[in-house]
Amino acid sequence: MSKFNFRLSTVLFALGVLVLAATVSTEVRAQTPAVDPAATQILKRMTDYLGGLQKFSVHTQNTLEDELDSGHRIDIDVSASVIVSRPNKLSAERKGDLIDQIFYYNGKTLTLYNPSDKVYATEPAPGKIEEMLDFARESLGLTVPVADLVYSNAFPLLMQEVTLAVVVGKAVIGGVKCDHLLFSRPGVDFQVWVADGGQPLPYKYVVTDTGTPARLSITTVMSDWNVKPSVPDTRFTFVPPQGVKQIAFMPL
Amino acid sequence: MKSIDKIAVLTITLVFMLIADVPILLEQLVPEAHAIFGVRRRAARRGVIVGYSMGEAAATSAAANQAATQKQAAAPAPASPPPAATGKPLPLGTVVTALPAGCTSTPVGGVEYYYCGGNFYRAVFQGNSLVYVTAQPK
Repeated sequence: MSKFNFRLSTVLFALGVLVLAATVSTEVRAQTPAVDPAATQILKRMTDYLGGLQKFSVHTQNTLEDELDSGHRIDIDVSASVIVSRPNKLSAERKGDLIDQIFYYNGKTLTLYNPSDKVYATEPAPGKIEEMLDFARESLGLTVPVADLVYSNAFPLLMQEVTLAVVVGKAVIGGVKCDHLLFSRPGVDFQVWVADGGQPLPYKYVVTDTGTPARLSITTVMSDWNVKPSVPDTRFTFVPPQGVKQIAFMPL
Repeated sequence: MKSIDKIAVLTITLVFMLIADVPILLEQLVPEAHAIFGVRRRAARRGVIVGYSMGEAAATSAAANQAATQKQAAAPAPASPPPAATGKPLPLGTVVTALPAGCTSTPVGGVEYYYCGGNFYRAVFQGNSLVYVTAQPK
């Protein structure tokens, strides 16, 4: 009888431990949610602030990691300067080893100009920046630097399918103290560094392709933010210099 | 018999406890481990719009491919001559990233055509990239 009692009490104790362990396990998981609201709030503050700017200009330094067929990893660097004037003006200049290109949009037409090749192409474009960017991407296959900064729905776009959001810590980018955020979605991780005081502007952005073993990243470092640039409207209209030839866009 | 029972029950209990505890330990030590080290890897589509630098990514990606092509083209002893060197006309609409050597340019109806290797080429923007496409001058 006492033998039975001992066995029963041991089994009950074991069951109790198991139940406790299961409860603790659930609690731990509930206490560390994958999407930290502190991280999404900083991201939202940044996108709201950018969305509310009437004008801005920024310089970006972009580094694209690439892998040669030989297996060696190289960086491709491109510098870009962008000026945005809502609702209908944008200019962007990209310079790098393999690209030398200026993009103009004046509310009526968009133009792509390659100064070193001495060619340009012009197309009639929608009357607002966001529609123009959609048109450029969908009809002409064009990408414009920092285009997604301009969208007023940048926040939901960025948060799509996000499975993880964390505040990694603090960092100083180009002398500016920033909050370092990490977000993850299937196939892509992205990190954003947002100034932690004053204007919540982004200063760095890294996108990592997690879907391939090479895990290549694109890094964008932003500097020279100006939220009140004084730019004449003529800056957004292309005037072909002497000897420059007009070519066409290949329709998609 | 009695001691064997005791040992068996204790062992089973311990095993269950360990099974229950290991995930807790992992979660506590490295809460972001799963995400950071890509346990949830799935088929990726490059060019998914995730943010403002992804647009840049697509553009530079095209440039990078071009870079890689150029670098590989520059490698010694190419396996086969470029198509234009064969002198055979290419199908109309064939896209090349660079003109073959020795092209002569001729304006036809306000458009600049480049003639070489039995083909006429016309410069166009394919997205952000300047390319040359075989065409029939009109």
